[in-house]
Parts: sequence; structure tokens; C-alpha cells
Amino acid sequence: MMRKRISVSEAKKRLRVNIPLLLVLIPVAFAVLVPFLWMVTAALKPRGLIGEPPYLFPKYFEFTNFVVAWKAAPFIRYYANTTIVAIAVVFFRVVFASMAAFAFSVLKFRGRDLVFLVFLGTMMIPSHATLIPSYMIIINLKWLNTYQALIVPRMVDAFSIFLLRQMFISIPQDYLDAAKLDGCSNWKLLWKIIVPMSRSSLVAMSLFSFLFIWNDFLWPLLVANDKNMRTIQVGLQAFSGQYLTEWSFMMAGTMTAIIVPIILFVIAQKQFVSGLSHSGLKG
Amino acid sequence: MLKSIQTALQQKLSKDSVQAVFYLLPATAILLVFSYYPLISILNLSLYKWENLSPEKTFIGFQNYLNLFSNERFWNSLNVTFTYTSVVTIVSIAAGLLLAVALNNRYLILKSFWRSLYFLPSVTPTVAAAMVWILLFNPSIGYVNKFLDIFHIQGINWLADSTWALPTVMLLGIWRRAGFNLIIYLAALQAIPNEYYESAMVDGANPFRRFIHLTVPLLKPTTIMLVILGIIDSFLIFDQIMVLTRGGPLNATEVIGWYMYNNAFTFLKMGYGSAISVVIFIIIAVLTLLQWRFVGFGSMEDAE
Repeated sequence: MMRKRISVSEAKKRLRVNIPLLLVLIPVAFAVLVPFLWMVTAALKPRGLIGEPPYLFPKYFEFTNFVVAWKAAPFIRYYANTTIVAIAVVFFRVVFASMAAFAFSVLKFRGRDLVFLVFLGTMMIPSHATLIPSYMIIINLKWLNTYQALIVPRMVDAFSIFLLRQMFISIPQDYLDAAKLDGCSNWKLLWKIIVPMSRSSLVAMSLFSFLFIWNDFLWPLLVANDKNMRTIQVGLQAFSGQYLTEWSFMMAGTMTAIIVPIILFVIAQKQFVSGLSHSGLKG
Repeated sequence: MLKSIQTALQQKLSKDSVQAVFYLLPATAILLVFSYYPLISILNLSLYKWENLSPEKTFIGFQNYLNLFSNERFWNSLNVTFTYTSVVTIVSIAAGLLLAVALNNRYLILKSFWRSLYFLPSVTPTVAAAMVWILLFNPSIGYVNKFLDIFHIQGINWLADSTWALPTVMLLGIWRRAGFNLIIYLAALQAIPNEYYESAMVDGANPFRRFIHLTVPLLKPTTIMLVILGIIDSFLIFDQIMVLTRGGPLNATEVIGWYMYNNAFTFLKMGYGSAISVVIFIIIAVLTLLQWRFVGFGSMEDAE
């Protein structure tokens, strides 16, 4: 009897809290979603019907728009290019950042803090500001329109090193000493013990690097704007130049460029959110 | 005894030094070639007249800077960038904070659903989102004008209007940024001990007072971090300008990144472009130092 009364008042309380909150959250959610809904609806509309009165949920399902878009521009090629570059960048970032973070956390050498500071200093240098000389380097290496131009300059970033170092120094020293007593070399210590223990940091770092490459625009636009070497965002921009008035095809192309990050996020939301929260909080 | 410890330590130091060279070599090489060398290079190039990729560069001292500082378009681009940056940063932080407080309510249903949904724009590629923006704000068939029609408001050609083009671009920036701020705020809110609120409730503070006098001050470090990260992020705006307006109409959206890009890569004035780059670098470097001074090292999204 008593118990039931509590749960009723509890339910009332829940209702009292939720209704006003939802009255705010639902319209905001709607505003956030409008661009996505509009894109999907337009991408599935038959050509020529785009001027119809607005509705946000698809009424037609004209998948041939995608066929037309993919024929008009080599989106498959753009996908392949972006995937190759993203996977290579993530791989090198994991390897090189792990190695550097190992030096800054486990090894003891003179001037370590100074060298670490010099590394972190690169966070002050935005790639926008160094575009001109970076572009000249690519020209001089004759790397224009190559995968190297898209991969090599992005293989190392100071923030990944910082993040991994924070993770590595939190591993108890006893643990490392024990491994060393067993005759474990530094190389083995890093890859067999430290890296597996730091999986969550590495996953978050890899996800963000993948996303960064997938969404990147200015650098690939400069160094790889050949039809066969474009990454997805550059490809989309080139496509829009030709088809700006053909809205159904344009939105089909746009959806093609958006879908991978969205799927990645839906699959790995937990890692994204906790990775962000941690990197933000640790400060 | 002491001596032997000392030698052992020295041996370890020198052995580790050799190893450190190996472990740091790849990262050092890349950062030197693609970060530090270009930095020194823009400082150097900004002192030269160098146009059309010709093999010849003429040393002109600080002439590029003098030209820059006497050029109205440069000041306009700084002004546009600062306007964009302040509006986007303030609005997206306010929105992120309010949403985070709402989502932090322990009775709220579907918490992680809301959180993911609001974060979705932050993972969306800017170029693709800008494409959708063009269609959304299209004067004749765009959703925005059709929506305004319902209330008998005459829509305009948003992106071609020198008053409204910048706010339209800002809206995209806010849309992409608010969810990021929300996630960081939410994590900070969850770290506040519940006792603080309980004692405030005992004192009879209503929810609004609790928010103003407790939540906002407690979140101050997070807010400082988000302000600085937000400023850095918006200050480097480029992609959406290239897709949406190309700096127009009448330079109303000509941000400094676009001004630099245009001078360097459209008009091939590399020396002049380097001088603009140096200005961008100094502003970002000062902001980064401020961030380190106040909050330590930042968050992932802005590391690039």
C-alpha cells in the first residue's frame, strides 16, 4: 500500500519534470534534424519535383538519383581514395604517437620535458597558417596528386602524442618493472603490455583521426584535386560545380559524403562521447 | 654505495637516450618538416615579394605587412572573422550549457538518445553540411523560405544578401558546434558532487538561482576552455565560406582564412599571403598559450 503510493508520486514527479523538458528538447531536436531530413527527402525526390511544397519526410523513393550522381562523378573512386588515406593516417598515427608517447613516459633521458614541450608547441601552428610552404614542399617533392601528399604530412599530430602519454604515465610503474625483470625489451614492453592496456585512448584517438581525414577539405583540395585523386569532400565540391541546379542529384551526392561519418558515429557513440569527455576533462 | 647508484642512473640515462632517439625519430622528422619548417618559412617568405610562382623572390623587408595593414580588405576580413567568431562561440556555448543542464536532469527519459542526436552535427562534414545549407536557404525552393511562407513572412535570398549572408553562415557554425559544447559541459556537470545541490536546496534556492549561483560558477573552468577552443575553431573557418559564399556578397563573409587562400592560391601572391599567414599564426598562438595557461591542453577536435 505504502509502496504503491510512493511509486505513484514518483511517477507524477517524473511526468512533471519530463513534460517541460521535452517541450524544449523536441523542438531543438527538430531544428537539429531539419538539414538531415531535408537532404534525405530531396535526394529521394524525382527530378523536377524539388519545387513542391516542403515536407520533411520522404514521400518518394527515387533511388535512381544515386545512380545518376555516382555515374556523373566517380564517387566510388573518391570513397576508395578517402578510405586508403584515412586508414594509412590512423595506422601511422597509432604507431608513431605510441612510440613518441613511450619515450615521453617510460624512458628517462636528459631534456625530456623540453623536447616534449617542443612537440606540444606544434599545436600552436594551425595548418591554415602554414599552407603556402607545405604546398611548396609537396610541389618540390613532386607529390602533387599522390597519396603521399595526403598521408605523410598528417602522420603525426602532437595531440595524439599528448593523449597517449597521459594514458601511459597512468600505468603503475611496478607493472612495467615486473615485465622488465622478466627480460622484456622496451619494444615488447610498448606493444605487448602498454598499448593493449591503453586501448580506449587508442580507439578514441583513431576514431577522431579517421573522422578528421574523412571531413578534411582544404589540404586535399590544394594537393590532390585531380579527378582520380580527390577525396570525398573535394569530390563533392567539384560535383556541386557541375550540378548545382540539379538538386536531387546534388543531395544524393551530399548524402554519399555524409553517410560514413554518421554510421561510424552511430556504431561508436560511446567511444566518441567518452573520448571527448575525457580529453576535455583532463585538460 | 651512493656512487654505484649514481653510475647506474647515469648508465640508464645514456642507454635510454639512445633508445629515445629511435622512438622519437619518426614523429620528430614529420613535425620538423611539416610544422616547424613551414612556420619559419612563412616568417621568411613574408619579407619577400614573390608572385606567380616565379623562381625569383625580391626581398622587400616589411613592405608586405605595411601593405596589409593599410589595406581595408584585410581589416574587413579581420572584422568579419571576429564577428563570426564571437557570435558562434557565445551562442553555441549558451546553447550547449542549457541543453547540458536539461540533459543532466536525473528524471529525464532517453538521455543518451538526446545526447547523440544533438552531437550528430559535430561529426557531419562541413562541406557536405554547407551543400545542404545552400538548398535549405535557396530563395525559391528552400525549406526556410517555404517555412516562413506559412507565417506570411517574405523570405529573402539569404546567401546573396550582404546583411544576411554572414548570419546564415553563422547558423551553420552554431549548428555544428553546440553539440560539442554540450558533451563537454555534460561531462563537467556529472563531475559536480550532488551534495552541493542538496545543501543549496536546504537553503531554499529555486532552480533558477541554483543555476546562476551554483552551476555557472562551478562550470567556469569548463567555460573558459570551451570559449578558447571555440574561438580557435571558428577563427580558422574556411570550408563553409568556400562552398557557400566565396567571401561575398561585397566581401560580407570574407574571413581571414579565405582572404589568405585567395591571395596566395588564386592571385598567387605568395609573399603577401605569407604575411597574412603570420597574422593568423600569431592570433592562434596567443590563444593557444592562453588556453594552456588557463586550462591545460585542449580537446581532440581542435588538435588538427
